Parts: sequence; structure tokens; C-alpha cells
Amino acid sequence: MATSAVISESQSQPRAWPRVLLVLGRVALGAIFLYAAYSKLYFDGAWHLHDYHFFFAMAIDSYKMLPLSVVEWMARILPWFELLLGALLIVGIGLRWAGSITTALLLVFIGAMTRAKILGLEINCGCFGNNEKLGTATLIRDSSLLVLALAVTIGAFLIKRRRAAVSS
Amino acid sequence: MKPLLISRIGILLLVSSFAAISGASARKQTKTPARPAAKPASVVTPSPDAKALGSKNAPITIEVFEDFQCPACRNFYETSLKQVIDDYVVPGKVYLIHRDFPLDMHPYSHQAARLANAAADLGQFEAIERALFDSQEQWSTNGKIEEALASSIPAPQMKKIRDYQAAHIDEINASIERDRTLGVQKKVNQTPSIYVTSHGKTEALPGGGVDYKLLRNYLDFLLRQ
Repeated sequence: MATSAVISESQSQPRAWPRVLLVLGRVALGAIFLYAAYSKLYFDGAWHLHDYHFFFAMAIDSYKMLPLSVVEWMARILPWFELLLGALLIVGIGLRWAGSITTALLLVFIGAMTRAKILGLEINCGCFGNNEKLGTATLIRDSSLLVLALAVTIGAFLIKRRRAAVSS
Repeated sequence: MKPLLISRIGILLLVSSFAAISGASARKQTKTPARPAAKPASVVTPSPDAKALGSKNAPITIEVFEDFQCPACRNFYETSLKQVIDDYVVPGKVYLIHRDFPLDMHPYSHQAARLANAAADLGQFEAIERALFDSQEQWSTNGKIEEALASSIPAPQMKKIRDYQAAHIDEINASIERDRTLGVQKKVNQTPSIYVTSHGKTEALPGGGVDYKLLRNYLDFLLRQ
């Protein structure tokens, strides 16, 4: 009787480790996104808040995927968007949305990088600053980030669902 | 729970206000002026630096590490550098320096660089650079560079370049090696690699070449500073 009471109590309490893993995952991913934004705004030993978009536009344009008007627009907003996503992931607000958008963004990045690799474009990745050549290593790194983003997103949805189940 | 939520929202507001302020100030400074009317290609004043074009007193210096056999360098030269020469070097806004960075993967790039250096010492760098890139597809398959340049460099001129090269081969090789060493020091990892110096600051542009319109926007921004 006593044993069954202990078992049912432990079953009703959610385990802590999935939550800990989720926190670690989202903080790591958020920090990487913050660093990605930082490396686009601070390079060559100085902040480039007024001219970062020129350099980043050149990096995006080297992928030869988008018209220049879109390239220039993206170059202006993407570092700030990465900064916002990084902050959301670290803070944990709107985690399901932030995770989903991060996953989608990484899918787009990996798609663009794979296309460039297939086309044999000798370009810079543009991921973390200006001086990183696009190669297999960058593709593997971004794919690992995608796996992490996917895990964070799924984790966020599962925990939300569990909470809803417990409260109902 | 509430204080935690408030502190999270506080962090987000801080980040977004930083983004908004920086974005607004950046926008203020980047109005693109109308493209100046295309000027006819003209002869650029020979520079004290044999492999450079334009005035040393120009407010902007562009240094390009190139390999004459590299297709990306050819593309950058044909689609961007020619226009930079016409629109910025000729009017004295840009001092353009060529640096040799022949890659070992290209069998004829050293040969082309030697020819270009000999021509540069004879004050004909602009002509030979143009001719080398214009006919790259021809000579890069068989290494017959002089044959490919025959249509743009007259035979007597080519003979002068060839003779000069034979007589000064050690200096020429040393000049190429100096450029390469400089490139290695600057962490050049591909060609073309472009460095822009203005107001005492040097910035590396993303390697592999840059679209002319984007380069023009950046140069105009620097000139407005």
C-alpha cells in the first residue's frame, strides 16, 4: 500500500531534467544568436553601428540568391533580428515562437549555404563576421545548431502541453 | 512569478530600444546619392606605385589581392573594378592598389603576374591588367598568355615587356613575393580580397568580390564622412 502511494506520487510529479535541458539548450542557442549579431556589428576592433549593413549586404549578395533591394533590406534588419531572437531565447519569453522562428531561420541559412556549396561559390559564410570561408565545417556547425533549435522548439511545445494537462 | 516576468520584459525592452536607436542613427547617414554619369574610360595618371592607379592623395585607398587566373577576380574586375576606375579613380576619389596573390592551384597565374609586374615597371599596368582579365578564358586553358594578349598589346610593346621581364626577373619575383607575404599577414584566404582604407581605418570587405552597386554605396558613404 505504502509502495503504491510512493509510485503514484512520483508519476504525478514532472521530472526536472527535461526542463533543465531545455533551459541549457535555449540559453546556449540564444547566446550563439547574440554572438552572431554582435559579430556583425563589432568587427576589425570597432563597433560598426553606422556601416555594418554595407559589409553584411556584400556577404549576403555573394550567395547570388536575392535582388539587391532585398539584400540591402535584409542586411539592415537581420543582425537586430538575431539579437532579438537571442534575447528571447535566453529570457525564455515566447519560447515556442522564438524556437520555431530560429529553426526556420537556420533552415533558410543551411539551404542557402548548401546551394552555394553545390554551385561551387567561393564565398564567405557571413555567419559570424566577414572572414569565415563557407565550407563543410560551417555547414556541419549550422546543422548542429539546427538540431539544437529543433530540440528547444519541441521541448518548449511538450512542456507547454504537459503544463496544460496538469492544470486541467 | 510576476517580478521574474517584469525583469524579462525589462531586458527585452532594453535590447529593442538599443536596436531602435542604433538603427535610426544608421538610417540617417546612409542616403544613397544618384549614380554619377558614366565617364568614358580615360588614361589614369601613372602612380609612384607601379601597380597602383590614381592619386595617392585620394581620400580612399582600395587594395585588392588578386590572382590573374582566378575567375572570381576576373568577374570582380569586369563587373566592379572597371567602373570603380572610371567613377572613382579617374576623378581622384580612390587610389587603387593591385597586390599579387597568385594561388598555387592556378598553373599560369605566376606567369601572368610576372608579365603584369614587368609591364607595371614600364608604366603599362592598367593596359596589361585589363588585357589579362579580358582574355583570361583564352590563356588560362593553355598558358599562351602573350598569344592571347596579341590583340590588345602591340607586338613591339610586348617585346619590350618580355625583354624587361627577362632582365629583371629577380626583382619581379621579389615584388610578387612581397605582395604575397603582405596578403598572408593580412590573413588573405581567397581572391579577390579587398581592403578599403579611409580616415585612417582599414576595413576588409567580404572576400570573393563585391557587386559594384554595393561597393559604390559604401564608397559614397565613406566620401560623405
